[in-house]
Amino acid sequence: MKARTALSIQRDVIFAIFLREMNARFSRYTFGNVWIILEPLVMIGMFMLLFGLRGRGEFGFVEPPVFVYTAFLPFRLLWNSTMRSNLRAAGAVRGLMGFRQVKLFDVYLARSVVEGGVFLVSMTVVGGLLWWWGFDVLPNDFLLVLSYCILFWLFAISFGILASVVSRFSPEITKLINLMTMPLLFLSAVFFPMTFVPKEFHSIMAKNPILHAMELIREAWFVQYTSPVADVGYLGAWVLGLMTLAISGYRLSWQRMSQR
Amino acid sequence: MIRFENVSKYFPTRFGPKYVFKNLNVEIPSDRDVAILGVNGAGKSTLVRLLGGTDFPSLGRIVTDRFISWPLGLGAGFQASMSGRENVRFVCRIHGIRNTRDYEDFVLEFSEIGRSFELPVGSYSSGMRAKFGFAVSMAFDFDTYLIDEIMAVGDQAFKKKCSATLTEKRETANIVLVSHDEKIVREHCNAAILLAYGGAEYYESVDRALFRYRNL
Repeated sequence: MKARTALSIQRDVIFAIFLREMNARFSRYTFGNVWIILEPLVMIGMFMLLFGLRGRGEFGFVEPPVFVYTAFLPFRLLWNSTMRSNLRAAGAVRGLMGFRQVKLFDVYLARSVVEGGVFLVSMTVVGGLLWWWGFDVLPNDFLLVLSYCILFWLFAISFGILASVVSRFSPEITKLINLMTMPLLFLSAVFFPMTFVPKEFHSIMAKNPILHAMELIREAWFVQYTSPVADVGYLGAWVLGLMTLAISGYRLSWQRMSQR
Repeated sequence: MIRFENVSKYFPTRFGPKYVFKNLNVEIPSDRDVAILGVNGAGKSTLVRLLGGTDFPSLGRIVTDRFISWPLGLGAGFQASMSGRENVRFVCRIHGIRNTRDYEDFVLEFSEIGRSFELPVGSYSSGMRAKFGFAVSMAFDFDTYLIDEIMAVGDQAFKKKCSATLTEKRETANIVLVSHDEKIVREHCNAAILLAYGGAEYYESVDRALFRYRNL
């Protein structure tokens, strides 16, 4: 054994958990790797069935499949999967806590990186497929889209860690979050742009930070679209607040959380 | 040297904090192989977990300059869904070892579990799990090995192999051993810590500690 610095230990641990998570994710289901591509495609297909065939241009500024592609994938993978993956981290890796190097925070980090990577890959693959079918999928401002995605990702990570910390003391939070998932899909303007929503609901719906993320990504993606509510400062404030709470909550309770 | 400085450990329960130790001050010298003795619930496993860094003192601190192994017990930290080989790779990686091939071969050979090495650890019997866990920790060179009741399981041949390997390791390292088996304690240890009445007594002589333990 030779001594390593704290940073290099953490790097080794995160790398080890990262490999383990990738392994677990892609060996559990037979269609594990296909499913993350298939699910958005199925969603897009369903959406096209619901709203008529391609080319009708319901939104005026974009074809429906591309619209679903730019909203559903970030919502599903960046928000839902990342948040849940962090929320479940403590329970899922109980077996690994028998080593002093492995801290719960490393698990959060590794899992978030996995989810972020899965998002990038499936975004590229599904985008490629749509492009191949003749849709115009290229974002208007690629860097802006990427930075909004990162902000949204950080939001999901912070929320997930905070929920994980809270769930250690009151497990009911998990049930609450499960209940929240479906309504959030509709409250966050995933399947419609905010311009479709009557004006009087704008201010109440704009309390939801996830809606801001969806609208910001949309705005940066489509040159013709301007969101009536999107505010990057509001989302940024949420991320900052949640992250502060999550990290300080973890700092206060990590010893109790890693007890078996 | 491993030193406990005013270590207290309690678990919150419905009836208020339940103390396992209060203001424990013990020093484990580097050249001694220490047995931890005590009745069930005296805090033997908790002490080993504190040493292994997987649990933390409520108060006080543990000072050491040694590389201490993970607590090697029956429930030791393996992921049930991963195969033996994947677990070995994981343990290697968190110890900063990138080239894991030698370690995999060592564990495969030492643990004598054959093709089960490629199967999930969750499917192992308790004897196989003990063999596997023991083999993994013997693959690494620690200064102190923490062994929690693992030698009680496993067949006779494996027990003999364990004893031989431990004797060999003791030349360069020391061990902290939890066992109810007096024969194992006498064979491998030359000091003992007796946990009783919320405190710890350090004995330089195993016989005296065992005598006291029997008459608790």
